[in-house]
Amino acid sequence: SPPVGSRASVTIHVEGMTCISCVRSIEGRLSAFDGVHKINVSLEKKEARIEFDPKRTTAEKLREGIEDMGFDATLPTNFV
Amino acid sequence: MATQKHVFTVEMTCEGCSGAVTRVLNKQKDKVSKFDVDLAQQRVVVESTLSSDELLEILKKTGKATTYVGLEN
Repeated sequence: SPPVGSRASVTIHVEGMTCISCVRSIEGRLSAFDGVHKINVSLEKKEARIEFDPKRTTAEKLREGIEDMGFDATLPTNFV
Repeated sequence: MATQKHVFTVEMTCEGCSGAVTRVLNKQKDKVSKFDVDLAQQRVVVESTLSSDELLEILKKTGKATTYVGLEN
């Protein structure tokens, strides 16, 4: 397993998903991003929970990735 | 380069999908003069000075299966 510190997680709020196909598009594309360990998108909660390697990517880059796909993506306000 | 009308097939299953395609194209306002997203026909028509390859790259950002059909007059 990876050493502690190379794993971070963020829950990004996503607006505009209406079906399971939207969910799969986001999961498919984001899981191919550099530094993404795991992604779980909930249509019901309108959010994407992503586990990533903070040395290889940032929460803001992940947010932009979802935004580029055509959805409204916002980081939690308390995210640092 | 002159503006051309490019036709694409995009796998869209719901309004969220077509909405996503619409938003992605809206972001290219300076390069895309006009576009039409047809969910029922799985068809996207884009009027732009960009090449079909460049447009394909933009559409593929949505993560949906996209193919280029050709030019429309």
